[in-house]
Amino acid sequence: MNIPESIRKHLTSHQIEALKPAWVELTSGSEHIKSMGGAWQVYFKGKPQPDQRISDICELLQGMLPIVEDFELPHMQLNNDAYTDILAFKDEQSDWLLFFDVTDKVLQLQKYQQVANELNLLKDQMSRTLGRYVGQEVSQRALDGKLSFKVEGERKEITTLFVDIRGFTPFNESHDAQEVMNTLNQYMNGMLKPILAFDGMIDKIMGDGAMAVFGVLPSDISSVDNAFHAALDIQRQTKATNILRKEAGQPILGVGVGIATGDAVLGILGSHERRAFTAIGKHVNLAARLESNARAGEILMDSKTLSALSDKPQCHKVSIELKGIGKTEVFAILPS
Amino acid sequence: MIQKKICILGAAGVGKTSLTAQFVYSKFSEKYLSSMGVKIDKKVVDVDGTQVNLMIWDIHGEEKYKKIPTSYLRGSSGILMVIDGTRSSTLQTAEEIVERVTAELGSIPLLYLLNKSDLEDAWSISEPDIQKLKDTGNPVYLTSAKTGDNVELSFASIAKAMLNG
Repeated sequence: MNIPESIRKHLTSHQIEALKPAWVELTSGSEHIKSMGGAWQVYFKGKPQPDQRISDICELLQGMLPIVEDFELPHMQLNNDAYTDILAFKDEQSDWLLFFDVTDKVLQLQKYQQVANELNLLKDQMSRTLGRYVGQEVSQRALDGKLSFKVEGERKEITTLFVDIRGFTPFNESHDAQEVMNTLNQYMNGMLKPILAFDGMIDKIMGDGAMAVFGVLPSDISSVDNAFHAALDIQRQTKATNILRKEAGQPILGVGVGIATGDAVLGILGSHERRAFTAIGKHVNLAARLESNARAGEILMDSKTLSALSDKPQCHKVSIELKGIGKTEVFAILPS
Repeated sequence: MIQKKICILGAAGVGKTSLTAQFVYSKFSEKYLSSMGVKIDKKVVDVDGTQVNLMIWDIHGEEKYKKIPTSYLRGSSGILMVIDGTRSSTLQTAEEIVERVTAELGSIPLLYLLNKSDLEDAWSISEPDIQKLKDTGNPVYLTSAKTGDNVELSFASIAKAMLNG
């Protein structure tokens, strides 16, 4: 670049002055000072003396010398809260240490870094909260903007699962509120974990039950198979909980599960201030009715769900009068 | 007196500076202040009757676009690898750092500190993940810079390992 000499001199002198450089010349292959110069006051408490070991007056360098190959230590914090970059290099006669002041640059960077790190921590916190409802993988996808729902709704075939604790109302009425809360959490854990494990999305938690939808979140397995395996696992986990509670002399409860498959419109419902994901469809109501008819330990499903299952389970067909729907043929499974 | 350099490493916000402040000054602050570059603190510890001056290099958090320069690790005798127990993403960062540290320094004493153990409800690291860390052969401690739980013990343990190593 063709820069006039006076401009070049001015720029060089301005830049060098701003860096407040100090240099220490060391005997080649040792830590002993040969000579020093520049703004040493910025970096050392006392003036380095010839023959002194540099690491005795600059603890940042302890264990780093002698210089085997050139290296750089960026953004080293000094005792006076200033920051320095240190360059260590060799030439044919000596080893060299060059110090220059980067305090202003580091303090400016620190402000950006602080904001960036706080945002990352917030993102992790949101991911953790969301992950409790939809699982970690999906929550991460949502935070990366790779999962969204159209406000106007989207038509899709899904499988809906309702699960609810049987006999919870009398238990609630006859026990202390804290005990009820602890019991509820214990059973809920066994109800919600299988849903998340089988790529289900928890739509609502309602008192002692929950509604989940399968086929909304991406999965390699069909929504019907996922929902059925989640239901089996819920019954398994409930049994395991009951064994523990029995051993502890606590009352035991059972859960009923209802599953139905059909078309639904998936969308966002609510006002500008408060919105929630919702699935609307006839089969959603059917799944809710099946759940309310399922006995403790039982899974009831509609014919569409059963016929779409890749491995048909042993079940028996029953005809039930469902409130608001009428007489319906359903399939009952009592897992062993 | 014997002098040993320890590097305290991990992702941003895992509590490296807080652990150092708790160990050196018995202090804890809830306020998060992002560290830049390197800050060096010192503390003398007694290892079976031998006084050891620990030079603790509190190094800025590792990020995707801001890797820890390997020059910082030069001369280090031990590594404290900090993981935030409430953020599983910091476990992966730790694994990446350990790979680079091992390539640079070879096999030196290394301890995994699963920090923020006081935040039980937000805990995100599973038992199998902890077992996987233990399987590396390096000790794993659950620490809390806030309550001081296992902080002294962790530094004492790395000091001992460095002295015997």
